[in-house]
Amino acid sequence: MDFLPFLVTQCLNALSQAALLFFLGCGLTLIFGIMRIVNFAHGAFFMLGAYVGYSTVHWTGNFWAALIVAPILVGAFGAAFELGILRQLYGRDGHAFLMVTFGLTLIMGEVIRLIWGVEALQVKPPDSLSDIVFILDEPFPVYRLFLVGAGIVVAVVIWQFLERTRLGLLIRATSQNAEMVHALGTDVRLVRSAVFGIGCGLAGIGGVMAAPLVTASLGMAPNAVIDTFVIVIIGGMGSFLGSLIGAVLVAFVQVFGTYYFPDFALAFMYLIMVTVLVVRPGGLLGKEA
Amino acid sequence: MTGTSGFSRRTLLGATLASPVVLRHALGDEPIKIGMPCALTGPGGEVGEQMRRGAEFWIKFVNAKGGLLGRPIKLYAQDTGGDPATAVRKAQDVVERDGCRLLFGMTLSSEALAVVPKLAEWNAIFMSSDNGDGRLTGESFVPNFFRANTSGPMGTRAVALYLRQADFKNFYAIGMDYAWGRNSIGVFKDEVKKSGKNFIADVYSPIGTKDFSTYITKIRQSGADACYIVMQGDDNNAFLSQARQYRLGDKVQLLTEIVDLNSIHAVGDAAIGLIGGSRYTFTFPGEANAQFVAAWKKEYGNVPDVFEGEQWQACQVLQAGIEKAGGIDADKLRPALETVEIDSIKGRVTMRACDHQGVQKGFMVKVVQKEGFKEPIPDLIATFPADQVTPACRQMTYDS
Amino acid sequence: MRFLIAVAALLALLPFGLPPYAMTLLTEALILGLFAMSLDLMVGYARLISFGHAAAYGFGAYASGNFLLHTSMPLPCAVLLAGLLGGLVAIGVGWVCTQATGVSFSMLTLAYAQLLYAVAFKWTPVTGASDGLAGIPRNPGPFGVTWWSTKAGFYYLTLACLLGTFVFCRELVRSPFGAVLRGIRENEAKTIALGYNTRRYKIAIVAISFGFAGLAGALYAPFAGFANTELLFWLLSGQVLIMVIVGGAGTLIGPVLGAVFFLYMQQQLSSYTDSWALFFGVIFVLFVLFMPEGIWGLILSRFGKKAA
Repeated sequence: MDFLPFLVTQCLNALSQAALLFFLGCGLTLIFGIMRIVNFAHGAFFMLGAYVGYSTVHWTGNFWAALIVAPILVGAFGAAFELGILRQLYGRDGHAFLMVTFGLTLIMGEVIRLIWGVEALQVKPPDSLSDIVFILDEPFPVYRLFLVGAGIVVAVVIWQFLERTRLGLLIRATSQNAEMVHALGTDVRLVRSAVFGIGCGLAGIGGVMAAPLVTASLGMAPNAVIDTFVIVIIGGMGSFLGSLIGAVLVAFVQVFGTYYFPDFALAFMYLIMVTVLVVRPGGLLGKEA
Repeated sequence: MTGTSGFSRRTLLGATLASPVVLRHALGDEPIKIGMPCALTGPGGEVGEQMRRGAEFWIKFVNAKGGLLGRPIKLYAQDTGGDPATAVRKAQDVVERDGCRLLFGMTLSSEALAVVPKLAEWNAIFMSSDNGDGRLTGESFVPNFFRANTSGPMGTRAVALYLRQADFKNFYAIGMDYAWGRNSIGVFKDEVKKSGKNFIADVYSPIGTKDFSTYITKIRQSGADACYIVMQGDDNNAFLSQARQYRLGDKVQLLTEIVDLNSIHAVGDAAIGLIGGSRYTFTFPGEANAQFVAAWKKEYGNVPDVFEGEQWQACQVLQAGIEKAGGIDADKLRPALETVEIDSIKGRVTMRACDHQGVQKGFMVKVVQKEGFKEPIPDLIATFPADQVTPACRQMTYDS
Repeated sequence: MRFLIAVAALLALLPFGLPPYAMTLLTEALILGLFAMSLDLMVGYARLISFGHAAAYGFGAYASGNFLLHTSMPLPCAVLLAGLLGGLVAIGVGWVCTQATGVSFSMLTLAYAQLLYAVAFKWTPVTGASDGLAGIPRNPGPFGVTWWSTKAGFYYLTLACLLGTFVFCRELVRSPFGAVLRGIRENEAKTIALGYNTRRYKIAIVAISFGFAGLAGALYAPFAGFANTELLFWLLSGQVLIMVIVGGAGTLIGPVLGAVFFLYMQQQLSSYTDSWALFFGVIFVLFVLFMPEGIWGLILSRFGKKAA
């Protein structure tokens, strides 16, 4: 393989990985920005997305339907959890949230196991995405290109949503100063429910998108949650742009690092994290909190 | 963190099945208690679940015929979560609390390696049905450990023997970065070199790797015409799915140490064409296997998978040993097991005294789509005699 | 004090009444209790939420494991030395981590712990990589002293470490040093204004806390006979934090109860049902909703303050 095709395919590999990381990181960071809580259950929502995706594809035979159904269901579940349980805990210290979301992770993992079973499940991408294209004579999966595209679309949509819509404005304002927003007559609690739902829904989309690469399996949640933390910590907790940068940075270092130094594959992510935090304790774009 | 299916159904079923048997026996018949700490959740949960099902099936079978030595068998299965620390604790529990002196389970080799040093203290015999790590019958061997199953080196050896006859010249290897992956690839590398072929390089992915694109790029670039894969569970499924998406199989023949139905189910068409060793597959020839598969189908409605078959074989070996020893006392059972020889679903299995490894044949299968099956199935393509597959005593490598 | 002696006496008598498997479980619970108590020093008294406490635990386990495997050092020396070493190393880590505050501090500790985890996977001669260290012995002392190698003996060693740590920590938090820590917890800016170099205090408490966590890990290695990378994994850091919260942060005794509760629940539930995680999760949620002060808080409110 020549250097140029190698470079191009590796960059595309990195971008497709970044897209998946971004779906996870962006939801977690939004939630943190508004609620100042670390959602330990984020990986479980990601996993739920994959399983709901599996069932949707199984029943309808349509992957696109899964991309709509999964985020809605997972998001609704997340919002319901916020309404039912988390809402009672605001004002308590961070411990409470840690424990509740940790508990939720265990509960969701077990419920998923009871519903879908222990065996990993295959989620097939639609035929139109299962093909390969030749990029500089190197075969490359269409599905990975689709991931890159989807990542860009979601990033732009969320960015515009935060910038242009009223709810987006409220979200940004609440993350700056919740009391002020409240004093101005907006129900901050609704904003919180909405954000928690949206964040979980994004994790749900991520789950569906990841499923054709890794299958829907019970190992997804614990695997995903630490990656997500790393992305968000690197980017700065609560920063939307930070999560995007964190995802791209980690993906590129991971892809190229693993190529040249496969023995350090596991360490790269944490090395970046330590380096960034030592230089900027709040993360790249975060305020120190 | 979690994993495994249908606890309620199966435990209830187990309870209702077990109780009449216990009642039927006279009060003096002390049950034979077998402890089974295995990974029912977490990494290895799928395998642990198969192991438990295999043991339960055997116990039901034996108890229905009036038990072993006239005594009913009772299973104490416990979930270890695939964690060695928990495995030690659970094993301690079934031994010290429930009074088990026979052990099954220990799904992961790391769990087995943590537990075996304690066997002497507990005076308990551990019959392995799935542990692959060569060291268990090598440097970490203890007298109370027995392995009825095909070990990792034996699986790799079968693949290597097959490759001697095949056309492939240049090999690459990818394994999960832990003991099993490194051991097996070490044996494989050795074998390739001995047969005068070219081993290009090996690479190890951390456990839990989700994106294999870089590894696939490396394999593609290497110019290998065959790639040996030593992976399991989620990592294996992810690798095979992604390899298929990159059409890696068009250029490189994928070889694997273990072909199992669970992975085939999880990756579907991506498994077609895969060649690999098989510790057990329902398509094995022989009357014993046909009967076993038929009985299994009747009980569970589907065909048995690798570790269900392996567990059944381990149970048969243990049963033969107990019958020979006339009891389960470790000091009597150990010498009895050392000379057990049975005809099992995989053919003849001979336990040997020097390292307690079950000497048995090696099998190679190819995953194909067959008439009458919804999913691709492993089809037997080669069988190797036991003396070629089993290493010398306490060894993990082969001289010739 | 009288209460403490009563509890210590009760715990000391337990080996005479409990069956062996219960002794084993109790010993492990006390080791985890020591681990949780060490974290409580940071979480409960200085509000420094360490999210990487498993690093210290695993470090201690590997250190004592290596001492015992490769030298003839007697078991108690190996354990104490490993804890001490953990505390010394933690001074450096504490120095870096305390540059940050709040969530950033937690994240830095997490980052360090995970980096150590990744390193442990590759540093085969010291850690045995993914296999871990197996067959860690309980080395005898000079003159053939081996009382700690029996089940009851090891239990007493663990108990002694736990009680010693408890007395030390209780004196520490009641001392002027502890008052400064509480000042940091309540209002760090004010404490600085009063002329205290709070950073130094924080580094000190990180080192002490990590040292005791290392001691717990150092006990675990010869207890289980092995050490592996799971002991460094973030999941354990999360679990020990939950033990602290379940038991009641800022009480020292509470986290020990939390650890005992955590281990027993997990052990009992998982022997009855494969779905133990479900019940476990529900218990956590119920705890947060209905017992915000933790187990010890509940005991105190039920039986009045006299116990403390």
